[in-house]
Amino acid sequence: MSMNIFANEATEERAESARLSSFVGAMALGDLVKSTLGPKGMNKILQSGSTGDINVTNDGATILKSIPLDNAAAKILVNISKVQDDEVGDGTTSVCVLASELLREAEKLVQSKIHPQTIVEGYRIASAAALKALEGSALDHSSNMDQFREDLVNIARTTLSSKVLSQEKSFFAKLAVDAVLRLQGSTDLEHIQIIKKVGGKLSDSFLAEGFILDKTISVNCPKRLQNAKILIANTSMDTDKIKIFGARVKVEGTGKLAELERAEREKMKAKVAAIAAHGINCFVNRQLIYNYPESLLAEHGIMSIEHADFEGVERLSLVTGGEIASTFDHPELVKLGHCDLIEEIMIGEDKLIKFSGVATGQACTVVLRGSTTQMVDEAERSLHDALSVLSQTVKETRVVLGGGCSEMLMSCAVDEEVKKVVGKKAIAAEAFARALRQIPTILADNAGYDSTELVSQLRAAHYGGQADAGLDLDNGAVASMRDRGVTESYKLKRQVILSASEAAEMIVRVDTILRATPRKREGM
Amino acid sequence: MEVRLSNMTAAKAIGDAVRTSLGPKGMDKMIQTAQGEVVITNDGATILKHMAVLHPAAKMLVDLSAAQDIEAGDGTTSVVVLAGSLLGAAEKMLAKGMHPTLIAESFLKASQKVVEYLTDISTPVDLKDNASLLRAASTSLNSKIVSQYSTILAPIAVSAVTRLLTPTSSNVDLRDIRIVKKVGGTIEDTELIEGVLLNQNVIGSAGGPTRMEKAKIGLIQFQLSAPKPDMDNQIVVNDYRQMDKILKEEREYLITMCKKIKKTGCNVLLIQKSILRDAVNDLSLLFLSKLKILVVKDVERDEISFLSSSLGCKPIADIEAFTEDKLGYADLVDETERSGARVVQITGVKNPGRTVSILCLGANSLILEESERSLHDALCVVRCLVKKRALIAGGGAPEIHVSRLLSQHARTLKGMEAYCFQAFADALEVIPTTLAENAGLNPIAIVTELRNRHALGERNAGINVRKGLVSNILEEDVVQPLLVSTSAVELATETVALLLKVDDYHVTR
Repeated sequence: MSMNIFANEATEERAESARLSSFVGAMALGDLVKSTLGPKGMNKILQSGSTGDINVTNDGATILKSIPLDNAAAKILVNISKVQDDEVGDGTTSVCVLASELLREAEKLVQSKIHPQTIVEGYRIASAAALKALEGSALDHSSNMDQFREDLVNIARTTLSSKVLSQEKSFFAKLAVDAVLRLQGSTDLEHIQIIKKVGGKLSDSFLAEGFILDKTISVNCPKRLQNAKILIANTSMDTDKIKIFGARVKVEGTGKLAELERAEREKMKAKVAAIAAHGINCFVNRQLIYNYPESLLAEHGIMSIEHADFEGVERLSLVTGGEIASTFDHPELVKLGHCDLIEEIMIGEDKLIKFSGVATGQACTVVLRGSTTQMVDEAERSLHDALSVLSQTVKETRVVLGGGCSEMLMSCAVDEEVKKVVGKKAIAAEAFARALRQIPTILADNAGYDSTELVSQLRAAHYGGQADAGLDLDNGAVASMRDRGVTESYKLKRQVILSASEAAEMIVRVDTILRATPRKREGM
Repeated sequence: MEVRLSNMTAAKAIGDAVRTSLGPKGMDKMIQTAQGEVVITNDGATILKHMAVLHPAAKMLVDLSAAQDIEAGDGTTSVVVLAGSLLGAAEKMLAKGMHPTLIAESFLKASQKVVEYLTDISTPVDLKDNASLLRAASTSLNSKIVSQYSTILAPIAVSAVTRLLTPTSSNVDLRDIRIVKKVGGTIEDTELIEGVLLNQNVIGSAGGPTRMEKAKIGLIQFQLSAPKPDMDNQIVVNDYRQMDKILKEEREYLITMCKKIKKTGCNVLLIQKSILRDAVNDLSLLFLSKLKILVVKDVERDEISFLSSSLGCKPIADIEAFTEDKLGYADLVDETERSGARVVQITGVKNPGRTVSILCLGANSLILEESERSLHDALCVVRCLVKKRALIAGGGAPEIHVSRLLSQHARTLKGMEAYCFQAFADALEVIPTTLAENAGLNPIAIVTELRNRHALGERNAGINVRKGLVSNILEEDVVQPLLVSTSAVELATETVALLLKVDDYHVTR
């Protein structure tokens, strides 16, 4: 007798079929982003089904985020790539690919009747060994400023070489390092503003110290202001309406109306006078400034900038050290922002306002140029990745080598460890080493080289004691990564191994998938 | 692979669509917009903007042309044609099994070389050298619908830009050049106006003056109509006598305002448009006309900055603030009729700012629109020379020259790169080929002759489209700014490289 335990349309998948569906989902996702890995990785076009907007990217997190999925295991992979993005900012593709390779190996093991828990045990031994090897290979140059800076530039170059900016990587690497070093150890990327302007070419991009606001200065104001004292406000500068719902006035004639209007103007005048009493010469408002207050401000010799948006106002307050004010009765309590120079600059066909010599010296602005919107958007994502990796590296100063070198190193270390392990879990640990070797394999595949040949050469090099050997994808040969300056952040690599093995473990242990009834929607 | 092919096909289709409009003998396109409006143009950026493309790769080419429009302003067709040709070359190499990233990288390297070569053959230009500027502007105009008027429009474009120049400026804001379009007359009547032109007409309905000598101009941002506070209000009328009182009060209110204006000596009033209420009503117009004040209304808020800087006046936002020092002075404000179009012209401005007005006339709105676009392109060309002060020859000469040098360079390279450089060099020849094709010449004969002449050292040999043969193009005064060519090559290559690296296509939410 069969009984319906679950509600309508709720489903249950068990044992083999559950495992199969999660393996298949994760592997499919891995294969999807696999081709974007490495310096010769490919881009993907993402077209939004609803608006038709196009996005060209090879950032793993962006791709995974935007693809709609209906597979539990695949969603877990998307999640770890998101976490990687939040934690380190880069390596989003690597973590997803590694996890899916671990699962591919696990599937084979399961097929040869090894219990999932044994696989998990083996993976744990292996990942511990791998991390130990990684830590052993990490170098710390933070004591030597020059060498550390070179490390940073190398990291930035390595990160950028797998992105759209690869052609201009030296240029952007220097730019990113300059920007991050300005932060003086803080990881708050808020201080680095990225402005995108279509037109021009990538190498026309530049780093400006200070802050650039994509707004215009109101008419009648000086277009250049030295030694500016800035009041940042979020207040309505139309008229102070009485904000009671449905408040209305009844009058007996036009004259009274005129008086009322005059009274409103007086009120505004008083407000402007209160603002002027702060002793400022620049007034930035988040909301619109109407003609009347604008001309009053101009009379007071105050430069006014209207409609600066939430983001603009907040950043401005951050970089100039001013507070956002909305009442003006106590000038002595309001902290004003300071900067040395406000001027109008032209980028492409647009005029923008530049605040230079701001109170917090850390702030800077990167202006990105490029031929198409897609190009600029992708450039922003790449630069953001580089910046976040760099800012993390400034905190965790150890670096490791890239180009498949660290992976091979770890894989060898795991292989060594396996020799000491007794029991079935040794096979699982061996599988972990194989999965690690997949990363250089994919790198070589994407670049169009004979991966089997290259990877075996690489492994031989590592066993032969050349611990800094990696893949030189420009020439299709094994070379010393230290000489070529292919460096990556230790934190990034560690995070990749940790998240990927954890996610793989989690998925391997699943033996049942329960799906709740999908929520009914009208019109579907 | 499939995705890549579909991208290439789409992109090449776009290239082919605009291809025929390249060059002085290029054809025009008639575009019917979704609203049923008709646009006739041969400006690449405009054609592509109106084309409703769906394919993602095609959309990127449309963007590419827009980027060239921003960067250089001209060469919007060339950049798309070039991108199409590069993709065609890439397709052939892909079919041979070359790796796309390799092609992309080699192309980028090749484009850097091209820019280098182009810079080498360019001749520096002095901004005081009007003749050179003029030649560049007329070359750009010659490929437009308005080509037969290039002798009229080119000097206008040149003097408009040079007037805005300061010795140190490295860029010109084209927003300081105002183009006023009026239907009437022919393109020949287009002229650069001394002083300032207004988009709006004088309001003559109340019998006010339309000509004012020794004008004192006030630019106001408040309204001359019944008062209306921002709060909701209601006038309560208790009996009929009160109605008279309301009317009277309104009259008095307006009279006081008008008198205050008159008292400052203001006799020309420009009134900003208001969305909240009438900027000016019939009653106040009547008073103003009685006080002999010339009135222009519906000035847009965007225009305020242009007007205040070019007239040397300050906008006035409140009647209380209406003082004499905020007025601008001009010798004459006059509404004149030119070939059936009425325009307000302000001449002899006392403290003129750095702005220029151009009056653009045309027989119908289609021609007018196109003539404005062409003029804009010509202005951009001159601006390019301000940004990067160098000229190169036109007529396909630089492309052939660079293509020759590049294939020479390719022979010194090894491996796949050599192949890609050669392909890039061949792809550059699409420009002279298309020029010849569009002029009805035999492209193969012309291009081979060009190559031959260049190989013999005549590096200025180009296609003389007017005569239909190959000659020294510099003698024909066909020149173009370096920036237009370099940015076309760089932008096209950048986009092609991005497209080549695409291997998958996903639909997202």
